[in-house]
Amino acid sequence: MIEATNLTKRYGDKTAVDSISFTIRPGTVTGFLGPNGAGKSTTMRMILGLDQPTSGTVTVNGKPYAEHATPLREVGALLEAKAVHPGRSAKAHLGTMAATHHIRAKRVDEVIELTGLAAVANKRVGGFSLGMGQRLGIASALLADPDTLILDEPVNGLDPDGVQWVRTLVRDLAAEGRTVFLSSHLMSEMAQTADQLLVIGKGRIITTGPVQEVIDSVLASTVRVRSPHATDLASLLEAAGATVTSPEPGTLDVRGLTGETIGDTAYTHHLALHELATQQASLEAAYMALTQDAVEYRSETTTPEPIPAGAPR
Amino acid sequence: MTTTAPQPVSPTTSPTAAGSRIRPVIPAKLDFAGVLGAEWRKLFSLRSTWWTLGLTVVLMTLMALGQAAGVTDSLDTPEGAATFVGLHGAELVTGGYQFGMLTIAVLGALLITGEYSTGMIRSTFAAVPTRLPVLAAKGIVLAAVTVVITAIAFVTSYAATAPILTDHDLVPSLTDPTTWQIAGGVTAFLVAAAMFALGIGTLLRSTAGSVTVVITTLLLLPGILQFITVDWVQDAMEYLPLPAATAFVTVSDAFGGAGDLTAWQGAAIVAAWAIVPIIAAAIMLGRRDA
Ligand SMILES: Nc1ncnc2c1ncn2[C@@H]1O[C@H](COP(=O)(O)OP(=O)(O)O)[C@@H](O)[C@H]1O
Ligand SMILES: [Mg+2]
Repeated sequence: MIEATNLTKRYGDKTAVDSISFTIRPGTVTGFLGPNGAGKSTTMRMILGLDQPTSGTVTVNGKPYAEHATPLREVGALLEAKAVHPGRSAKAHLGTMAATHHIRAKRVDEVIELTGLAAVANKRVGGFSLGMGQRLGIASALLADPDTLILDEPVNGLDPDGVQWVRTLVRDLAAEGRTVFLSSHLMSEMAQTADQLLVIGKGRIITTGPVQEVIDSVLASTVRVRSPHATDLASLLEAAGATVTSPEPGTLDVRGLTGETIGDTAYTHHLALHELATQQASLEAAYMALTQDAVEYRSETTTPEPIPAGAPR
Repeated sequence: MTTTAPQPVSPTTSPTAAGSRIRPVIPAKLDFAGVLGAEWRKLFSLRSTWWTLGLTVVLMTLMALGQAAGVTDSLDTPEGAATFVGLHGAELVTGGYQFGMLTIAVLGALLITGEYSTGMIRSTFAAVPTRLPVLAAKGIVLAAVTVVITAIAFVTSYAATAPILTDHDLVPSLTDPTTWQIAGGVTAFLVAAAMFALGIGTLLRSTAGSVTVVITTLLLLPGILQFITVDWVQDAMEYLPLPAATAFVTVSDAFGGAGDLTAWQGAAIVAAWAIVPIIAAAIMLGRRDA
């Protein structure tokens, strides 16, 4: 169980995470979905006490992570980017992690087997592909058999086999009663892996709920309406709680109401309809629409932010 | 009345609450001994450590050998004999300590900056979220390694210089307390240099920045400042680590002289150079984002 209350992180002027609150429950896979820069990694670092929240709190099983007596037993984490010294072998890396908790060497071998790293266990991590790095990260997350797993973009860089393997793994882990919290910037990935979704954009929670509900809500959210009485209809629909935009005169895009409700409303008020169509957007398009307002500088993403010297993230 | 009949209770069929652990528990316990062991393994699972330590012994030995050869040569002339009056053989055996200071300090800085630059620090702090034990363990491991390496270098330097020193009756006697004062002083100084570097590395996090600051403070500054013959500069210079250390790692005036400081004053100054950055690092460690 992970609980965040008004969790906020600012880096200088930049608000990376903006007063978010959520609860991640055991026995489910919760997907943390959001475009790049949305604040997923920052949130995960705060859960692990690596970054200090500017305000708000986050607890794991009722306590801040740092207050647990056996932290690796509590949470296993795969952090974004390799959090590993490239000069060490995979086995040595896991060995040092295990040593802190007096975890036996046998267990190190087990997680190496489990993650398919046996062939490269004695090779230095510096030469690993992104996919092998991810496997090593997952191996270290599993070391102490934790109750909670936090995986930041675990399928990044994995081949299709690897992706399938991660999906099965996280489903199995959740089925054993663990809390699994994993992030991704791909809706399609989440749709196949997660039970619950927490959608974040620009540091704020956009929506949350069971995956299918979130998908349905975004997929059915836009209804294209053409009517000679578009203006009258627009005000009626807005009064009924819809968000209405007009791409061209006589045409409306309605969000927040179903096609049925819109048709019934028009009928009740004797307004003729020439078209009433629920937009069948693809999953990714729906997700784009959902996070559209939240994506910052989509066209500027090629401009790297200057990282101040001596302040590694 | 079948319900009253005793039923054998099988633990495998008793219902488990949703989400309860039904898997075998992996024994795990976090304590300082574990952190210490982890830091030990970290240090020795990097090839660069072996290189650096090997290089330290070799350079210290070669430097001692070179210095012993040079000094004993000049002892044959009257001027040389005057320069090196009061010279103790142990000063020559430990003559390579400035090289040791450099390599050990770089090792100390890298011990922590290597974690920040690679991202390893996140794994480290995820396993030990209270953080301070990590710094303490690194300090202990580094100090222990420094002591052992200095001892090894003393033995190899002793063996290497003995054939030269024996002609001048300068082989330090192992029953002479001064020999142990010098050997112990050099060891303590190298431990201090290592701690200074570890503290600076923890504060600055960047390898390049830390190595620059450490080498400048330990070696370059004393080297440069000795040419600025302004009184206050010369006085201030004595408070730098290396000049302060000469107060207790040398007994004669042969190597730059002991200045105005007593051995204990020198030791106190060197200790301050080690302790202040480590305390600052310990305070900052818990406050900053990893
Ligand atoms: N250490 C840091 N210093 C400054 N800005 C940061 C730092 N870490 C993250 N950010 C900024 O915070 C925002 C959220 O980043 P991040 O949590 O990495 O997003 P995500 O993981 O969802 O892609 C981004 O705009 C990023 O540039
Ligand atoms: Mg991220």
